[in-house]
Amino acid sequence: MSTGPGMSSTAIMTPGGAPTPAAAVDVKPGRSPSRIAFERLRVDKVAVISFFVVIFFVVIAVSAPLLAGLSGQSPTYVNSELVDAYGYPTIGFTSDHWFGVEPLLGRDLFARWVYGARPSLIVAFISAVATTAIGTIAGLTAGFLGGVVDRVISWFIDFVLALPFLLFVLVAVPIATSWFGSPESMEAVQISQLRMWILISVFVLLGWAGLARLVRGEVLSLREREFVQAAKAIGVPTRRVLFREILPNLSGPIIVSLTIAIPSYVSAEAGLSLLGAGMIEPTPSWGRTISEASRFFAVDPLYLLMPMLAVTALVLSLSLLGDAVRDAFDPNTRR
Amino acid sequence: MLLYIVRRMALAVSVVFATMVLAFFLFFAGPGDPALNLCGDAKCNTQRVEEIRKSFHLDEPVSKQFADYALGVVAGREITSGGFTKPCPAPCLGYSFKTDQPVTGLLVARIPVTLSILCGAFVIYLLIGIPTGVYAANRRGTAVDRAIVGTTQTIGSIPYFVPALLFSLYLTILHPLFPRGDYHPLSEGLVKWASGLLAAWIVLGIFGSTGYTRYVRASMVESLAQDYVRTAKSKGISHHKVLFKHALRAALSPVLTIFGLDLAASFGGVIFTETIFDLHGVGYTAVNALRTSDLPVIMGCLIFSAAMVVGMNLVVDLVYGFVDPRVKVS
Repeated sequence: MSTGPGMSSTAIMTPGGAPTPAAAVDVKPGRSPSRIAFERLRVDKVAVISFFVVIFFVVIAVSAPLLAGLSGQSPTYVNSELVDAYGYPTIGFTSDHWFGVEPLLGRDLFARWVYGARPSLIVAFISAVATTAIGTIAGLTAGFLGGVVDRVISWFIDFVLALPFLLFVLVAVPIATSWFGSPESMEAVQISQLRMWILISVFVLLGWAGLARLVRGEVLSLREREFVQAAKAIGVPTRRVLFREILPNLSGPIIVSLTIAIPSYVSAEAGLSLLGAGMIEPTPSWGRTISEASRFFAVDPLYLLMPMLAVTALVLSLSLLGDAVRDAFDPNTRR
Repeated sequence: MLLYIVRRMALAVSVVFATMVLAFFLFFAGPGDPALNLCGDAKCNTQRVEEIRKSFHLDEPVSKQFADYALGVVAGREITSGGFTKPCPAPCLGYSFKTDQPVTGLLVARIPVTLSILCGAFVIYLLIGIPTGVYAANRRGTAVDRAIVGTTQTIGSIPYFVPALLFSLYLTILHPLFPRGDYHPLSEGLVKWASGLLAAWIVLGIFGSTGYTRYVRASMVESLAQDYVRTAKSKGISHHKVLFKHALRAALSPVLTIFGLDLAASFGGVIFTETIFDLHGVGYTAVNALRTSDLPVIMGCLIFSAAMVVGMNLVVDLVYGFVDPRVKVS
C-alpha cells in the first residue's frame, strides 16, 4: 500500500493533508498542517500581539480576587456612604477605589471590572470547546455513516441553523432559569451561577450546527479517498478509521472554527447581558455594567467606557487571533 | 426537479413546525408552573397568574393546547377568554397579553420599521461593500489592499453594540449631531422617515458593510483569475470594462446569495439596532415582550423569524436549482 500511482498523486494534491503512514516516515520527518500553521503564527505580528492581549485578560480573570484584594475592595460590597441622596457617587478616582464607585449602590468599580472578565471568558471558552466537540462528532457521524443517521443529523443541523440565535437565547435563558431555580428557594448568587450554566447550555445547543455541517461535507469527500478505503479494506474498525484516519485531516477547520467561536461567544455573552438576558446580579459582568452605565454616561463616562474598552479589546484580539489562525491554516494565503 | 421541490418544501415546513414545538415546549412543557414562568423575572400576583392560566387554557392538556395553536397558525381559530370570543384568522399567533391585540397584526405593524432599517442599511452595505471590494481585488497584494482587508477585519471584529451604543449616546443624545432614532412611516414624508432612521443606517450600514467588502473582494479575486477574463483582456478590451462588465457581473452572484440570506436572517429583527436606537421593529417588540412576559408575542416573533430564514433559504435553493445548471437537484 506504500507505493502506487494513486497514493502518490493524492499526496501531491494535498501536501501534508493525508496522513501517509509508514512510507513517509523514513523519507523525511513531515510537518503536520498544525505544525506549519503554528510556525506561521509565531512570526505573525498581529497574532502575537492579540495573543498577549488575550493572555492579559485571562490573567486578570484568574487573579481577580488577588487584584481586587490589592485595592482592598470586594465587587459586591455596598458602600452606601459614597453615594449622595440622588445616587451619584461623591468620589472620583481614589487610592481606595481605583476606578471610582458605582452610582446608586457605591460598589467598587475596579473590583467589578476585574471580576467581570470571568463570566465572559468562562462562558466563551466552555461554550466554544463544547460546540466544537459536539459539532465535530455530529458531523463525523453523519458524514461517515450516511443513510438514515445522516438524514436525521442533517435535519437537526438545518433546524438549528434556522432558529434565530439571539432571539432564541434571549427567550430561552430566563425561562430555563426559572425551571430550575426560583428566588424563594435559592440565593441570588446560586441563581446567577445557574444562569451562567444555562447560558452556556443554550449556546451549545444552538452553536454546534455550523461546524457539524462543515465537518460532514469534508467527511463525505474524505471517506471516498484511497487511504480511507484502504484502511476499511484491511479491516480497521470504524471508530479507528474515524478518529485515526479521518479526524486528523480535519484538524485545520476544527481549530479555525474553535478560534472563531470564542470571540463570538464573548460578544454574545456581553450583548445578552446588555439586553438583560445574560448574567444577572450579583455576578459582575461587563455587558450588564454597560447596560447600567448607559443611564449615567453623561455624568460618569468612565463607568461606561471601562467595560466597553475591555469587551472590545478582548473580542477584537480574539477575533484577530482567529483570523490569523485561519490564514495560517490556509495554504492559499500569501504572507 | 418536482421531487426536489417537494422534498425541500417538506423540509422547510418540518423545520418551522419543529420551531413551534420547541417554543411551546419551552413555555409549557417544562418543569414548574408555566403560568409562573410567563412572569419571568418579574413577580406576578395571584390574580395575574390566574388570568394567564385562564386566557391560555392552561387547564387543558398540553397536546390539545399545542394542536389548537398549530391549527390556528394554519387555518385560523376563535379564541375565547374572559367570556369573549375573538376571531383570529390564519396565520393566527394568538392574542397579546398586554395589549390584547392579535399577535399577527402586531407583527405585521412592526415589519415596516424593521424593513425600513434594513432597506437603508443594506443599501449602504452594497454602496460601500462593492466599490471597496472591487478596488481591493483590483489592487490585490498591494498596501492599499492590505489596509482595506485589515480595516474591515478590525471593524467587523468589534462587538457591534459598543459602537452603536456610543454613537447613540454621544452623537444623538449628548451632542445631537444626528436626529434621535424615531420611526415615521414613509407616508409622512421621505425626509421625516429618513431622518429618524439615519443614525441606525449609518452605524449598521458601516458595520455590516465590512463583511460585504470581504465577500466582494474574495469573489472578485476568483473571477479575475478566470480564463474568460484573461481572454477578454487579451482581446484588448479596456481594463475598466473587463473589471466591471466581465468580472464583476460573475462575482456578484455569490454575494447576492449571501445578501438574500443575510436579509432573511435580519427580518426577525436587528435586535441591538432596534433597542439601542429606540426603533420599534420586530426585534424591539420581542425584547419588550420578554420584559413584560408577553408570551404570545415572544412566540410569534420566534416563529416568524424562523419562518423567514427557512423561507428565504428555500427560495435561494430553488432559484439556484433553476438558474445554475451546475447545481444537481437530484
